[in-house]
Amino acid sequence: MVTGFEAGLLALSFLVPFLLLVFGFPPYLRLLTRLGRVSEDVHKTPTTKVPEPAGPMLFAGALAGEFLVAVGLNSWVPIAIMLGAGVAFVVGLWDDLYVLGGKTKPLLLLLAGLVFVGFILFKPNLYDPVLSFPILGDTSAHFTIYTVLAVVAFPVVANAFNMMDAFNGEISWFTLLTSIALLVGVTLHDVTTAGFSLARVGATLPLVAVAGAFLLFNRFPAKAFDGDSGSLMFGGMFAGLAITGGVEIAAMIAILPAILNSFYTLSSVRGFVERRRMPSRPTYIGKDGLLYASSEAEAPTTIVRLVLLGGPLSEKDLVKNIIALTGVAVLLSMVISVLTWVF
Amino acid sequence: MRLAPLIAIEIAAFLLIIGETYFFFIIVVPLGPIPHSLGEYTGYALLKVALTVGLGVLWFLVMIGMTRAYVRSKLRSPTPTPSS
Repeated sequence: MVTGFEAGLLALSFLVPFLLLVFGFPPYLRLLTRLGRVSEDVHKTPTTKVPEPAGPMLFAGALAGEFLVAVGLNSWVPIAIMLGAGVAFVVGLWDDLYVLGGKTKPLLLLLAGLVFVGFILFKPNLYDPVLSFPILGDTSAHFTIYTVLAVVAFPVVANAFNMMDAFNGEISWFTLLTSIALLVGVTLHDVTTAGFSLARVGATLPLVAVAGAFLLFNRFPAKAFDGDSGSLMFGGMFAGLAITGGVEIAAMIAILPAILNSFYTLSSVRGFVERRRMPSRPTYIGKDGLLYASSEAEAPTTIVRLVLLGGPLSEKDLVKNIIALTGVAVLLSMVISVLTWVF
Repeated sequence: MRLAPLIAIEIAAFLLIIGETYFFFIIVVPLGPIPHSLGEYTGYALLKVALTVGLGVLWFLVMIGMTRAYVRSKLRSPTPTPSS
């Protein structure tokens, strides 16, 4: 049973990062504009300038929420999550400021997984090396293979989030919906498993709060871009929360559109290629202002290009389609969570 | 309706991920008895690697196959061009 103190703390772990971002973003975005840190919104005609990167503000918000959970519930779980997400954030910020190569970024992101997994030398009960399947139950413990997969999960998930960051509101909607699926899974795990720490539920709330607050500034027409520092941090946090929450399967299902998008992109351009160095773009803007699927053979295949093969769309409608695909994946993920933890 | 084929691909990916992950952890990882010789150990290790690669290849082929069928069907229908 959750005590009044714990319920209050859970509420604060959502409200503090949410309000911090809602009130902190306007002055931060004015500062970015004053410093000349703006990027062209290439999907508008004429193009507009949008402050970037919002990643540092997002990281600050997440850090505040996780700090509350760590101190209030006396848990090391939020610390481990923010260590992994922190490395992903630093790699992203480096990319925002100096641009990293297509292969350097995933290699550096392995450090996020290594730091996270290395933390279990300090706190051995950080995660359980088993996977829980719906109806069929748990696998036996496989520490070595699970740990290797946990390390690899960080670059894979962080890059998958990064590749879902192309249009106004896309990354914020995607992170918000998938983090809600994660919250449902971790909460059901907590409610149905004796001795499962409430801190794992609390650690999920700052991600929901940060994504929700960012959506207010990132939705069409965007007033802020997160940059790689924001999207990689979202991915790093998501991976850490899925592993510590023991909801790896449900989490993997929730981000299926991003996994498919990465798979299509990597298989069509045959490897890790930095997006600014790709030979051509997957979409283009017609003179009517609508987005079209590129018909160039060397253009990368992305989930957006596949959606646009059905006909041109405005940026706003395109993002609605991506949200719908994410919604289906989130529903499947919630079904998996219910089948795993309730039945 | 625009999203129906993509949702079908998504559901196929979902079923394959669930099935293959279960197969990997329940069948592939604990495969074989405790090995008594280096040859036996190597044989089981190679079999596990082959099965793991096979699972990856199966996912790859199904996804590529479904996506190519979707792209072909869309390219056969009249492609809209920007009105200008």
